[in-house]
Amino acid sequence: MIRLENVNKTFRGRDGTAVEALRDISLDIAAGEFVAIVGASGCGKSTLLRLVAGLVPTSSGQVMLDNAPVTEPRTDTAMVFQAATLLPWADVLRNVTFPIRLMHQHDTKTDDKARALLATAGLSGFETKLPRELSGGMQQRVAICRALLQEPRVLLMDEPFGALDALTREEMSLELLRLWSARKMAVIFVTHSISEAILLADRVVVMSPRPGRIADIINIALPRPRSFEQEGTEEFQRCAARIRALIFKGRDANAA
Amino acid sequence: MQPDRKARLIASLPAWGATIALLLIWEISVHVFQIREFILPAPSAIWEACVSAWPNLLRHTLATLGTVLMGFFASVIISLPLAMLIASSPTTSAAIYPLLVITQSIPKVALAPILIVALGANEMPRIIVTFLVAFFPLVVSSVAGLLAVPPELIELGRACRAGRFQELLRIRLPFAVPFVFGGLKVAAALSVVGAVVAEFVGADAGLGYLIQTSMAFFRTPLAFGAVVMLALMGIVLFQAVALTERLLFPWSSSVEGTTTATS
Ligand SMILES: Nc1ncnc2c1ncn2[C@@H]1O[C@H](COP(=O)(O)OP(=O)(O)OP(=O)(O)O)[C@@H](O)[C@H]1O
Ligand SMILES: [Mg+2]
Repeated sequence: MIRLENVNKTFRGRDGTAVEALRDISLDIAAGEFVAIVGASGCGKSTLLRLVAGLVPTSSGQVMLDNAPVTEPRTDTAMVFQAATLLPWADVLRNVTFPIRLMHQHDTKTDDKARALLATAGLSGFETKLPRELSGGMQQRVAICRALLQEPRVLLMDEPFGALDALTREEMSLELLRLWSARKMAVIFVTHSISEAILLADRVVVMSPRPGRIADIINIALPRPRSFEQEGTEEFQRCAARIRALIFKGRDANAA
Repeated sequence: MQPDRKARLIASLPAWGATIALLLIWEISVHVFQIREFILPAPSAIWEACVSAWPNLLRHTLATLGTVLMGFFASVIISLPLAMLIASSPTTSAAIYPLLVITQSIPKVALAPILIVALGANEMPRIIVTFLVAFFPLVVSSVAGLLAVPPELIELGRACRAGRFQELLRIRLPFAVPFVFGGLKVAAALSVVGAVVAEFVGADAGLGYLIQTSMAFFRTPLAFGAVVMLALMGIVLFQAVALTERLLFPWSSSVEGTTTATS
């Protein structure tokens, strides 16, 4: 469904120097697949998401979605950022429906759908609260609801739990899996946590930095539904060791 | 609401106490040290002067208030579009900002007589001087607000295929509201300053004019009365802006200063 073909991305800095953010990325993602991306800071993970979102153009190569090249943002992709980035002036309900209203797809059922979605995310009763009246975890839940309400076929998440504490993080991961399994959308999930990547994903893409390349793609053969008990399994440990080795190999090669 | 109001009243008690104490010390000092009235009148003398000159004082106050309001509204009407223009691109910003800085480095007192000759002895030069004194902080803080939007929010807008106009209207402008009101509060206070500066140079009414004519005849208490009216005017305008913000944008007054920090 999503297909990256030999994608390169070079940024031109303000001083004219070129930064090669991504080199020769080829990747296929099936509809409904959950793919995690891990890699050192600065290896182009966010850039990769922006390319898929159509927010920045490729320097060469192509991003295809349903066999059509992505050249601009599409209504069937949604994005979740590290910070919740809610509108401070709008209450929870209006925050969740904001993209829909921006895209002029708002109708009488939108608010009901939003309420139902908020309820599944454990936020019923908070519809009229302002973002600053919510905890960080709740704010991020609102941001995820905002993305899900668009009923995207592709959900792009850039370290969505990065700003949360460890407990909230684990809770939210399982919640995300629940929400994902209820609808069939492809997820690209950027994270710095190896165990989070393994717990969530069908496949983990390991990237190496400078320039950003795909070091390897690891299949996670753990059965679903996933739970934290699986962290003790041999498969989990094997995958974690493999990913860690890939990341540190890249780092050592870079240092040498 | 009720406990809130009570808390606010309690919080304002020290300020009232200090003001009353200061007035008392002032009154007593003037009597004890027998300070001559045309040098420093006692608060009671100022009060008497105000009461006896009341209709006249009111007329001058209203004249100044008119200039202040016109200048203030001119600042609002011109500053906000100007801020949008500056924030819209680095090119427009580079083109307009230096001009603004030049208008700010010209002493407004120096400009007033020139304007009066050019535009005639009417209300216009005074409004322009008021505007020139008041508008700059409003432009600067509005631009800051329009540009303080977190980049992710802009990206969210773009991902929802919002155009530049939509982005401005639905994201940047609401985000800038607390900043705009910060600028409006400064502009309100500065409008009073600007109007008086203009009246010093050329006017036949207004509190600035009243201060000058009173002092020419050593009627210091009345001049002090005019100063008090000016202070009151500044306070009332400031509070009016703050009240407008609380009523129209209740979320704004409490996020001020934290918007940039938390996002
Ligand atoms: N708009 C831009 N202009 C210039 N250079 C950019 C831009 N965006 C990203 N880069 C550069 O591209 C490289 C990859 O950045 P990117 O943000 O994609 O990394 P990342 O993997 O998401 O890092 P992190 O884990 O820290 O979020 C970096 O070297 C960065 O400096
Ligand atoms: Mg990133």
